[in-house]
Amino acid sequence: MEYDLNAMDMEIGAIEERAKRLKELGTGIEAIERNADAILAFVYLLKKSVSDIIE
Amino acid sequence: MNTAEGKKYWNPIIETLPREKLQEVELKRFRELLRWAKDQSPFYKRKLHGIEPEDIRTMEDVAKVPMTEKDELRTAQEGKEPYLYGDLLAVSPERLSTFHQTSGTTGKPVYFPDTYESWQWCVEVWCYILHAAGFRPQDRVFIPFAYNVYIAFWQGHYAAEKLGCEVVPGGALDTQGRIQKIGEVKATALMNTPTYGLHMAEVAKEMGIDPTRDLNIKRMISAGEPMPEPTRLRLEELWGADVYDHIGGTEPGGWAGMCSEKRGMHVIEPHYLFEMVDLETMSKPIPPGTKGVAVITPLCRRCIPLIRFNLKDMMMVMDEPCPCGRTSIRVDQIGGRVDDLRKIRGVFFTPAVVEEVIRGKFPEVVEFETHLTQEEVMPVLSLKVELDSSIGESQSREIKNRIREGLKIRTNLTFEIELVKPGSLPRYMLKSTRFKDFTKKS
Repeated sequence: MEYDLNAMDMEIGAIEERAKRLKELGTGIEAIERNADAILAFVYLLKKSVSDIIE
Repeated sequence: MNTAEGKKYWNPIIETLPREKLQEVELKRFRELLRWAKDQSPFYKRKLHGIEPEDIRTMEDVAKVPMTEKDELRTAQEGKEPYLYGDLLAVSPERLSTFHQTSGTTGKPVYFPDTYESWQWCVEVWCYILHAAGFRPQDRVFIPFAYNVYIAFWQGHYAAEKLGCEVVPGGALDTQGRIQKIGEVKATALMNTPTYGLHMAEVAKEMGIDPTRDLNIKRMISAGEPMPEPTRLRLEELWGADVYDHIGGTEPGGWAGMCSEKRGMHVIEPHYLFEMVDLETMSKPIPPGTKGVAVITPLCRRCIPLIRFNLKDMMMVMDEPCPCGRTSIRVDQIGGRVDDLRKIRGVFFTPAVVEEVIRGKFPEVVEFETHLTQEEVMPVLSLKVELDSSIGESQSREIKNRIREGLKIRTNLTFEIELVKPGSLPRYMLKSTRFKDFTKKS
């Protein structure tokens, strides 16, 4: 069965954008910045698992 | 993808990718890593001077990039700032969140930190390894070690957690306590060094516990030291479990693992770029089916980039596709480490062969140790052997002779065999040192 890699990639991109935005909004609040960074670390892994393959 | 197939692999998108595509992704990542390393790491800025990442388009181009040797890593760290990591570090020190180091078996330890991101990547690659070895959310995984500053079991612990397993750390107990705990919590899986797996089975027996009957271990993954096939089979027999191997180290992380076929180990591509070079020149690429030396590049660990790291481990790439459906390269660990290779009386000898013979043919042997000494100009190989305490004197003599013959046939060398008292040889938990070279000048 086929996966929709492009759709997955779009979602990963959207999560990345939102996590970056969240980090910006929470600048100065450790709990927001660090958790947003953690999300971005997993976004990096998702990009290595999906996005890199379709480029 | 249907659910059943989805569960067969940790990541079916990557694990079944056609080889050409895998290589394309790896080459792209290799170029990115080169660029990153040249820009961010003072060590690689010097080392890669004159190399343009964009020029690397084929595996032949990759082979033109200089290899990284372990000694270079030591030199790049020693006495340099920032403290501990020196010229290797490619991120600002404030970003570091995890510390590990090599065991220092071959010299001064090398320190390897990770950022949160690069550590999560290390954990992710171990998820591939554990998943291929059958670890699943219903498993309760027992890890009978204090993980200390060494990477393998930390990676294993966090990866098992990420897979959804329940992890029981057994570090603060002695061997008997660990065996009791495995029984008490009904652990279904173990992470172990092969040596300690054998020792635990020996202690369990002394406690009147038969792991195959009284414990519930279904699978075991090995870490920390190479596991010759006879040792793996012995562990399967002693524990009544499926035993899997993996290959890894502090510098590259865990980079290959065994699937349910149990024939060789799959390189975790395209997270790693794997190459084999020939033993003589240590640079010429070699074809599958030929014994050579492994060279590895972790492609996504950016904290301390590692480009074409010479593992100095002798291996062979398996030629035929794996029935499991994974398309990644499969390697077989054969012959041990290049550093351990000796030429004795004109014959190449590697201590790994002794373990193959002993574990493969002599289940009566509980522990052993190989010594290389020198008498005048002649090198002498001797083997101290500890037999099971239930073996009588005449049987011991017969086994001793058979061991001498078995080693002679396998290595073409004559060993002096010495039987020693039960319990007199050291037992190892992590990296075992069963080969002692007394001819080496300290």
